[in-house]
Amino acid sequence: MHGERKKMFRLSELEEDALKEFFNMGLGMAADSLSQMVQNEVLLTLPKLKVVPYEEATHMLMDSQEEKLVAVRQNFKGELTGTALLIFPGNESLELVRTLLHEDIPLEVLTELEQETLLDVGNVILNAFLESFTQMMSVEFEFESAEFLKGSSRFLLDISSHLAAQKQSLMEGANEDDERAFVLMMDFKTSDEEDTQHTLSGFVVLLFSQQAMYILKRELEVILSNL
Amino acid sequence: MEKKMALIVDDSSLARMMVRKFFADGFKDWDLLEAKDGEDALAKAQGQSLHLALIDFNMPGMNGIDLAEKLLEKQPGLAIHLVTANIQERMQLRAEAIGIGFIKKPINQEKITAAMQGVAG
Repeated sequence: MHGERKKMFRLSELEEDALKEFFNMGLGMAADSLSQMVQNEVLLTLPKLKVVPYEEATHMLMDSQEEKLVAVRQNFKGELTGTALLIFPGNESLELVRTLLHEDIPLEVLTELEQETLLDVGNVILNAFLESFTQMMSVEFEFESAEFLKGSSRFLLDISSHLAAQKQSLMEGANEDDERAFVLMMDFKTSDEEDTQHTLSGFVVLLFSQQAMYILKRELEVILSNL
Repeated sequence: MEKKMALIVDDSSLARMMVRKFFADGFKDWDLLEAKDGEDALAKAQGQSLHLALIDFNMPGMNGIDLAEKLLEKQPGLAIHLVTANIQERMQLRAEAIGIGFIKKPINQEKITAAMQGVAG
């Protein structure tokens, strides 16, 4: 059953385009929230979307980013189950905290505030991002509490960690090999022409269970058939 | 009645399809020119007399503001609206600064109707 499904699962070019556009709107809303918090414009790149096994997702992150990453992870479950990660390179996260607090703070104090501040920021950004889905699709889901994570890309995307949070919602008997992820990567950075040291960049990654991917595909088919 | 012409520029097929549907449903006296990026838009707009342009911001190559400026050079007074998911205040100010409108995605019939208020003729 799963083998068949795995072979069959494929987004058409148009479905992929539509999904990218939804993500684009989601990150647009998220960037607006972040922009108000840092009182600066947030520049967005064109979204890159790939449907890949988790293992490959890890490599994608490792290829483009350094080992020490900081992330806010937001699991969501319901009709749509998955994980959203807001990821910053390790050194950038402190810069974000500094920017948000608008003052020079000693490093040790900054480090203490890092977790709390990033959780607040992550919560606002990821919620704005995910809620845009509900505007376009007839899916409902609930957010769990956001978590603060620090480590390598392998650690951040560790499937067992995500599965622990979502065990009930994943397909029965699914092997790790069967699980695939939507990896959406959109880079963003704040611009600050007057002080180039106070810029930060990061990206958003979305991981969906295989079941959630079929729900998304179904929703996309409905939306596109009405156009 | 003579038909009016709108230029729709967006790299997303979905976004263009949505606009196309709204026009087909509510504005049958309009013809649409569709383009997937700035270069494509300039090529297709060549020699055309446009009444309205709805332009995405974040596209491969030229961004929507740069494209709007080029279109205004060719056709001063053209009603142009930036239609974007990038809803930050600075983006809105940038659109205002060159005298074009700003529409937040997702687009709908009401937003298109409002955009048409500024269309000449």
